[in-house]
Amino acid sequence: MTLVQMKVAILRHAIKGPQGATMSSAGVLGALLAAGTIYLAFLGGDWLAAAYAVWMLGWIIGPVFSGGDETLRPEFFAPLGLRQHRLAAGLLASAFVGVAPVVSLVALGGLVVAGAREGVVGALVALPAMVLQLAVFVLLSKVTVGLLGVALGSRVGAIGAGVINGVILAFLGQSWVFAVAFGQGGQIPEFVRYLPSGWGLLAVRGDYLALAAMAVLVVLLLAAWAALLARRTGRDRPSTRGRRPMRPATARQAVVAKELRTWTRDLVRNHLLTFALAYGVFFAGTPLVVGIPDMLPLAGPVFIAMAAAMTANSYGTDGTAHWLTLMTPGASDARGRQLAWLVTVGPVGVVVTVAFTMITGGPWPVILAVTPALLGGGAGLVLLVSVYGLVPGIDPRNRGGNPLRTSEDDGTQTGMAYLMLLLVACAAAPAMTAALLFGWWGVPVGVVTGVLWYWWFGLLAERRLTTKGPELLQLMRTGRRPGSGTSAFAMPKMSKPREAVVMVCVTLGAIPLIPQGVVAMVMTAEGQLRHSWFLATYMPPGLRWPTAVVMMLVGLAMYVTGFRLWHQAKKQAAHKAQEA
Amino acid sequence: MTAALDIKGLAKTYGDNVAVDHVHLTVPQGSFYGLVGQNGAGKTTTLSMAVGLLRPDAGTASIFGADVWADPAKAKQLVGVLPDGMALPERLTGREMLTYLGLLRGLSKDVVAERAGELLSVLELDGAEKTLVIEYSTGMRKKIGLATALLHAPRLLVLDEPFEAVDPVSAATIKGILREFVAGGGSIVLSSHVMALVEQLCDHVGVIDKGRVAAAGTLDEVRGAATLEDRFVELVGAATTATKGLSWL
Repeated sequence: MTLVQMKVAILRHAIKGPQGATMSSAGVLGALLAAGTIYLAFLGGDWLAAAYAVWMLGWIIGPVFSGGDETLRPEFFAPLGLRQHRLAAGLLASAFVGVAPVVSLVALGGLVVAGAREGVVGALVALPAMVLQLAVFVLLSKVTVGLLGVALGSRVGAIGAGVINGVILAFLGQSWVFAVAFGQGGQIPEFVRYLPSGWGLLAVRGDYLALAAMAVLVVLLLAAWAALLARRTGRDRPSTRGRRPMRPATARQAVVAKELRTWTRDLVRNHLLTFALAYGVFFAGTPLVVGIPDMLPLAGPVFIAMAAAMTANSYGTDGTAHWLTLMTPGASDARGRQLAWLVTVGPVGVVVTVAFTMITGGPWPVILAVTPALLGGGAGLVLLVSVYGLVPGIDPRNRGGNPLRTSEDDGTQTGMAYLMLLLVACAAAPAMTAALLFGWWGVPVGVVTGVLWYWWFGLLAERRLTTKGPELLQLMRTGRRPGSGTSAFAMPKMSKPREAVVMVCVTLGAIPLIPQGVVAMVMTAEGQLRHSWFLATYMPPGLRWPTAVVMMLVGLAMYVTGFRLWHQAKKQAAHKAQEA
Repeated sequence: MTAALDIKGLAKTYGDNVAVDHVHLTVPQGSFYGLVGQNGAGKTTTLSMAVGLLRPDAGTASIFGADVWADPAKAKQLVGVLPDGMALPERLTGREMLTYLGLLRGLSKDVVAERAGELLSVLELDGAEKTLVIEYSTGMRKKIGLATALLHAPRLLVLDEPFEAVDPVSAATIKGILREFVAGGGSIVLSSHVMALVEQLCDHVGVIDKGRVAAAGTLDEVRGAATLEDRFVELVGAATTATKGLSWL
């Protein structure tokens, strides 16, 4: 009970703070989704079961990216000497406090609707079913975080978890493939009904055994979680040992050597890179299920872009170690990091790109143009974004039992990853355009732009490090930006409807712009018609190009609107701060 | 003679909180200077600004005449720093980290290898040759930090709480190294809130209270006839709290 009170207190403070805006917008979005779910309850059939399956997936996958809800860390309570299962029960009770559980409970209100359709008994059964179902969701989430924590304690685990995450996310991104594969839409496969997420629904429809099954599952998950907590609070993580002697002879080589060792020894970095690779390979490979090999050549480029997004906060993840760079001026730290990034990502990216493009036999000009541009852009932008938009990280030795949580401000870090994807795509745009229009001429354009990005972005990053080095260190030490108050990516204060507009524009703008606009144009140009969900390819001949162009304009307009509102609000906030 | 470290009017304000209020301090060459003050008095902020890790709102700092902010390359070459509680390149072993830093400092490969080996053996870290820095204990972290500060043969050492959480055996090792450094002509500034330690090691003392210098000079000038601890309590005016008991004990 005390734990519940603690969490309520923390959340109350959080709502007043800058996180309040994020929390309320998440709440609004969640409420909409919940309302949609309840609506599905009126439809009958398997729709509700499918919706709950998606909710369950959300609970399982969510923490993989955000690092999970760590308002109350198990480590806080280690000195109290509580018995493991009591601690687990207490933390579980506190886990039900928060925006996500409340929203999910509302969504599970669909069970009452479904039950009422069966009769009074059904409606009554729905109440315990709702609670048990929520407990299943929350516990699955907690157990996932726990398992990941254990997995990231060893190299095999870190890599394995990276592969699994990459595969899941790639499948989600390519879900149209499965929609096509499972019988042309409308039909929801029957197994969805029997997933744990559907047990509540089975119960209200008269299968009371499902109720008992849920209770058993809750007990089992609780036991598993308690066991995982015991491992976590009494953790002793082994790590790799230094074996190779360090052989560099100059300052830059030394930076490269240090970075490469960090890349290979830091299990979180192992995990992120494997994730990027698995994502690229499966994203490109999934359409093979329905016999479309055309996306295979994308594996390498997608991996490179994803790797850049995952590693964008280069200085932030090293934390206050930045002081050493400050004490050794002129040692070209940024250039060394660039080179190390290129050495880490480049060879794998090139091999994957070439191998997968050989399978389909082309289109060589586009792929060979885009790859160097992406590599150069990635190696430049990773550094540039990290010094201009630094998200203060948690120093590696203070990260506690959840190694995925590298920053207190994971919302901003996620935003940075998305921004990075967009920027890297922009870096490859000139090469891509040239290759589409002029074929092989795109390749030199790709090489030249790649080198240019590498050199120029690295130069900008290094200049910024020289002039703003102490401020960056200050930011990492205190988590606060000197002067302006918040990070460049943090949401400034604005009215709720405005904030909703910004969120929608910025998060969804990429869909019309990139797949429906740019990609659809490429497909139209190459004469690939009626292609999956690319709207323009379904249009009559005269409307194909206009559709794609309109889509691109819509996407651009969404970004412009979003960023302008954002910028305005920021300016206003800065103005207010100055007046105060 | 130019001072080893000359701090003139350094100031830093966070919001409404004045952390350091125009501090003036002169550390003569060859001195072992102790900076004492309560937690939050501004010691770390002052030292960070003095070595170029934190940009001051006002004031200057120079190391052997080289301005830390105008001529950072020269100033930083002359100083070795051990900050408190900062991260290191955590995924390297001690030897790898020293190699890395030595090369960053522009030392040749052979010199780095020789000095790293000597430092590791003197600081008794050579037993942990295969341990990554992230797995070091607090005492080991202080020792490897000291090694990084000494590696490029600086003439001034600036050490923030070098003895915090260090076991007595390691502390004795560190004290020996520091005394030898001063005997060889080097200068040291260290911050601490352990008076006995400062009295034992230092020949100069500066007392910082609420962001200002409350007293500064040679050890004898500052403490007079009393012990440093009594003098310190008198200066910062915290005598009353010590006599308040706890009601339930």
